[in-house]
Amino acid sequence: MAKNSVIINLKKITKRYGYGDAESYALKNFDLKVKQGEFIMIMGPSGCGKTTLLNIIGLLDQATEGTYLLNGESVEKISHHKKARLRSKKIGMIFQDFNLIPTLNILDNVTLPLVYAGKTKLTREKRADEILDRFHLQPKEYYMPDQLSGGQKQRIAIARSLIAEPEIILADEPTGNLDSRSAHIVMEELKSIHSEGNTIIMVTHNPSLTTYATRVINMLDGGIDTDIKTVADKDLPEPVKIHFNKKGKK
Amino acid sequence: MSLLLRTHYRLAYDSIHQNRTRSFLTCLGIAIGVAAIVLILSLTGSIQKIISYQVTNTGSDLIVIRPSSEKDTTENILETLTSSNQYLKSNLSLEDITTISKIADVKSVSEIAKSELTVSADRIDDNGKAYTSTINSASVIATNPAFIDIQKLTLSSGTFLTNKNQPNTAVVGHDLSLRLFGTTEPVGKTLTLLGQKFIVIGILAEADDQLNFMNINFNNSIFVKADYLSTLENNLQIQQINVLANSKNDLSKLSTEISEKLRETKNDDTNFSIAYGDQISHPASGMLMIVSGMLTLVASISLIVGGIGVMNIMLVSVAERTHEIGIRKAVGATSGNILLQFLFEALILSSLGGLGGLVLGYILAFLLSVVTSFAPYIDINIIGITLTTSVTVGLIFGIYPALKAARKNPIDSLRYSR
Ligand SMILES: Nc1ncnc2c1ncn2[C@@H]1O[C@H](COP(=O)(O)OP(=O)(O)OP(=O)(O)O)[C@@H](O)[C@H]1O
Ligand SMILES: [Mg+2]
Repeated sequence: MAKNSVIINLKKITKRYGYGDAESYALKNFDLKVKQGEFIMIMGPSGCGKTTLLNIIGLLDQATEGTYLLNGESVEKISHHKKARLRSKKIGMIFQDFNLIPTLNILDNVTLPLVYAGKTKLTREKRADEILDRFHLQPKEYYMPDQLSGGQKQRIAIARSLIAEPEIILADEPTGNLDSRSAHIVMEELKSIHSEGNTIIMVTHNPSLTTYATRVINMLDGGIDTDIKTVADKDLPEPVKIHFNKKGKK
Repeated sequence: MSLLLRTHYRLAYDSIHQNRTRSFLTCLGIAIGVAAIVLILSLTGSIQKIISYQVTNTGSDLIVIRPSSEKDTTENILETLTSSNQYLKSNLSLEDITTISKIADVKSVSEIAKSELTVSADRIDDNGKAYTSTINSASVIATNPAFIDIQKLTLSSGTFLTNKNQPNTAVVGHDLSLRLFGTTEPVGKTLTLLGQKFIVIGILAEADDQLNFMNINFNNSIFVKADYLSTLENNLQIQQINVLANSKNDLSKLSTEISEKLRETKNDDTNFSIAYGDQISHPASGMLMIVSGMLTLVASISLIVGGIGVMNIMLVSVAERTHEIGIRKAVGATSGNILLQFLFEALILSSLGGLGGLVLGYILAFLLSVVTSFAPYIDINIIGITLTTSVTVGLIFGIYPALKAARKNPIDSLRYSR
C-alpha cells in the first residue's frame, strides 16, 4: 500500500433511526477521508454519533444513505461473508467494555480473529505468544478474563485487535474504563502500533489524550464540527509490518 | 474447512462441558427415546432370530401347508394378527394327509391341530387325600406319530404316539406334566380330555426354546392322535401340515406337486398356501414386523419429546450467548461459522444421547433377558438406525436455534447486556 493513500472514504454518510415522528439521525451527511498512517481522535458530546461512525467503518453496521469506499471498493457491493473475512483480517476493533468472551481463556480470546481467518492452531499459538509477550501478559495466557484487572483486559482486547495484523484499528473509548495509569499504558501501546504504520481511529472523551493523535475531529449532532491535523501528511509514519508478512498479503 | 470444523467441535464441547447438568438432562431426554427403540428392536430381533433358528433347525427339508391366505399381504398378516390362527376356518382335512403321503418324494407327513382344552387328572395330596388337578386351557396338539421325527423332538421317558397301541394315548410336555401330575414321570397315569380318559405313554424332554414358528410351546402341550380326537370333537381344525421331503433338493418341485395333487382331490379349492425354507416363518415374522413397527412409532414420540428438549436448551444457549455471538461476529465470524457452532452443539448433544440410549437400551434388554428367555439381539443395523436417528433429531431440532444465532445482528448482540 502506497504511503498516504486514502483507505477510508466516507461520502455523505447518513444513519437514520426510526421513521416519521420518531425519526432521528445518528449521522448526517458525514464526509471523511482517512489516509494510511493517520492516528485520528474523535471527540464530541455523548450521543453525537461516534460509536455509530466506528461501527459503520468497521463493517458491523450499514449506513442508511451515502457511500463508503474501503480501499477504493464500495462496501455496499461486498457480501456478508467477505465483510466478515475483512473484519477478521483487515480491521481490529477495541471496545470501551473490552468485549472479551468470559468463558474462554486469554489465549483463546486473543486468537479468536485467527480462528475465523482460518489459521492453524500452531500458527495461532505462535502469534499469540509473540503478541502477549509484547504486552507483558504471557504469564496470564491461561487465566480467564474475570481474573484480570480492567487495564489488563483492555490490553488483551488490544492484543486481540492486533493479532491478525489489520491495517485499520478502531478503538471506541479504549481508556474509558481505566484509571489514568492504565490509560497511559494503553495509549503508549497504541502509539507504538501507530508508529509501525497502522491507521488508528479512536474515540475518546479525554482531551489530554489528543497529544497522541495526528488529527483531531470534533463531532456535533452527527456531523463534523472541527477537523484539525496536527501532523502534516508527509510526516505520517511509513507502513511497516513487524510481524511475518511473507505470505497471504495481497 | 476441516480446521474450522475441529474448532466448532471444540467450542461445542466446551459449551456442553460448562453446562454439564443441563446438557446431561437434555441428553437423557434423547437417550430415553433411543433406549425404548433399541429395546423394541432388540427384542423383536431376538424373537425373529428364534423363529428363523427354529425353521433352520427343524428343517431345510421341511414343507409347510397352511390354510387360506393366498398371498403374504399386509391384510392377511393383519387378519392373522387380529383373529388368532386357530379360529380360522381351515379347509385342510385328514384326507389331505393321506393324499400327500402317497407322493413319492415325501418321507413323512404330520398334521397339527391345536386347540385349547380343559384337562384334568386324579392326584393324591401330601396328606394322602385324593383330588382332581385341572388345567383350564391347556394347549392340545392333535397330530400323528410322524410328528416327533419331523419336529426333531426327544422324549425323556416312554414312547411317542404310535399307530400300534390304543388310540386314547397322550404324550405330555415337561412343564405341563409338572403342573398336572406334580411329577415328570407320569407314564402310565391317566388324564381326562373332553370326558375321555387318555393314558400317558411318553414325556417330552424339556425344550429350551419357548417360542417357535408355529406358536407352540412344546413344554406346555399335550399331544394326542388327530384321528382319535376328531371322533371326540367333530370340528377339529387342522392349522398346519408339515411335510418332510426325502431330499433337501427340489423342494420347489415337490411343493408344486403337492399343490397340484391337493387341488385335484379338493375340487380346485386353492385356499391353502405352501411354504418351505425361509418362507415358513413369514406369517409370524410379518406379524412381528407390524407389532414392532407400531411399538417403534410409539417410542419415536418420546424421541420427538427429547428433540424438543434439545431445541429448548439450544434456544436458551443462544439467548444466553447473544453477547458472545456479537463479539465473534465483530472479530470476523461469518453467519455460517455461528450456524455451525450451534448446530454442532445440538448434534453432539443428540449423538451423546443416542449413544447413551443405545447403552441404556441394551442394559434394559439384558435385564429383561434375565427374567425371560430372550437373548438381547445386537446388530449393526440397530446401532446404525439409532445413531442416524439421533443425529437426524439433532439436525432437525438444532437447525432453528442455530439459524436464530446466525441471523443475529452484531451491533444489537454487542449491546445486549449480560
Ligand atoms: N439502535 C438504535 N436505535 C435508535 N437509536 C439509536 C440506536 N443506536 C444509536 N442510536 C442513537 O444514535 C445516536 C448516536 O449514538 P452513538 O452511540 O453513536 O453515540 P456516541 O457518540 O457514541 O455516544 P457516547 O459518547 O455516549 O458513547 C444517539 O442519539 C442514539 O440514541
Ligand atoms: Mg459511544
